[in-house]
Amino acid sequence: MRGPAIVFDNVSLQLGGTRVLDAVSFRVEAGTLHCLVGPNGGGKTSLVRTLLGQMPHSGSVRLEGEITTPLGYVPQLLDFDRNVPMTVNDVMALLGQRRPAFLGSSRAAKALRAAALARTGVAAMGAKPFGSLSGGQRQRVLLAQAISPVPWLLILDEPTAGIDEPGVRLVEALVAELHDRGVTILWINHDLEQVRRIAQSVTVINQRVSFHGSPAQWENVR
Amino acid sequence: MNALYDFIREHLQALAATGVLPQPFEYEFVINALLCAVLIGPLLGVLGSMVMIKRMAFFSQSVGNAAMTGVAIGVLIGESYTSPYFSMFGFCLLFALTLKYTQHRTTLANDTLIGVFLSISLAMGASLLLFVSAKINTHVMESVLFGSILAVDHTDMNVLLVVTAICALIGLPLYNGMLLASLNPSLAHARGVRVRSVDYLFVVLVTLVTVACLKIIGAVLVEALLLIPAAAARNISHSLPALVTRAVLIATFSCVVGILAPMQFHIPVPTGGAIVIVAALVFVVTTVIRATTARFRGASV
Repeated sequence: MRGPAIVFDNVSLQLGGTRVLDAVSFRVEAGTLHCLVGPNGGGKTSLVRTLLGQMPHSGSVRLEGEITTPLGYVPQLLDFDRNVPMTVNDVMALLGQRRPAFLGSSRAAKALRAAALARTGVAAMGAKPFGSLSGGQRQRVLLAQAISPVPWLLILDEPTAGIDEPGVRLVEALVAELHDRGVTILWINHDLEQVRRIAQSVTVINQRVSFHGSPAQWENVR
Repeated sequence: MNALYDFIREHLQALAATGVLPQPFEYEFVINALLCAVLIGPLLGVLGSMVMIKRMAFFSQSVGNAAMTGVAIGVLIGESYTSPYFSMFGFCLLFALTLKYTQHRTTLANDTLIGVFLSISLAMGASLLLFVSAKINTHVMESVLFGSILAVDHTDMNVLLVVTAICALIGLPLYNGMLLASLNPSLAHARGVRVRSVDYLFVVLVTLVTVACLKIIGAVLVEALLLIPAAAARNISHSLPALVTRAVLIATFSCVVGILAPMQFHIPVPTGGAIVIVAALVFVVTTVIRATTARFRGASV
């Protein structure tokens, strides 16, 4: 089984009189690892938000293919009140179960959560206050929630920002493993070397699509 | 439901008559109020902890003030001045939803907008209540503002029971989504949460609970009981389950002690005031515990 294809068709977005996206059209093939690059303010995160259904836009965004699990999403950063008494396990429970998080979790949910935290190298942090984690540790927790359960579509918004070198390698290995399983991955990425190394296809966005193709083709036109 | 209330009341009164329970249990209105307290505690504890995390303290205050306007409108249109629920629910829901609608369509900071609505609701409530004050007994106004266990009847208990059922049936299944929507809307969207809908729903639940608790706690103080137990619980909690459980316990304890203590010790204070004072004392105690206990000093970072 493969993840869905993503089709952006003539997507335009205007926020407070400023045009953020202008007739953006491209397709992310099913089961590919696709990187979205471009300058700050170029509209990458806004485009992802249109995909999440969070932004009113013109044009259409659609998924083609079967989607049997919730999509996984790792935001750029989680602005979190450090004083809220919420542990890592609580945050994972909020994101991953139907039962109200304050009523605890089932044994199965706990096992799934522990496996995901272990996979991202933060197994020992389940009982720690989420607000006390460093930026890099938070990103690992956010990555853990995104792969629990394993999604067929994974959206990453600069997940390696603020993560140390071992963390970056871990993220790359995890993404590679999911990609091998057929998961479609859309990754907003500023690390051009990393994009060249891991991506199957690339779209460069600066309000409009200025390039869409393979990393090798992109190297030639840069 | 009335038969159930009578059944509970008769048994408790019998126990009080034999000396097993304290003397205030001999009075029907005390038992009515305590039955309400048993519902109000968990309601306010669960909802209050979420209000605190979502930073909506002033929102619930403005809804409480709007309830005063609701009472005044009820008196003006000829509703029963002891239970003008149609006007209170109607006006408060209209007020809260208008506030939320405006919040989604303005660039003003949340606290500024809520401050504006708070002032409007206070001004309207005070003006209209003074306008209708000639038509009603001063004690009715007092009970609206500060709560009164003498005024609690079966209608109030039924209203509270229905609101509790609505909160349990709608609020609990959507609890995670409502909390997640305020922590990170994008993540919530990704998890299939309809962020705007649960935002409105939360506002509706806070409004329903605020109005349903009005008879016991009063319009001025209902917001305090929504916040103080949650704030006290936060002082001594490291996790979400601990926060909510302790907020529920503190809210229930405050309600029960706030109702019984003035009766037992013949202290002439309104119920709402007594309940909030008990909650405030618990808050002081938890603050001291937090300041002096190493384990809790790290409860928040």
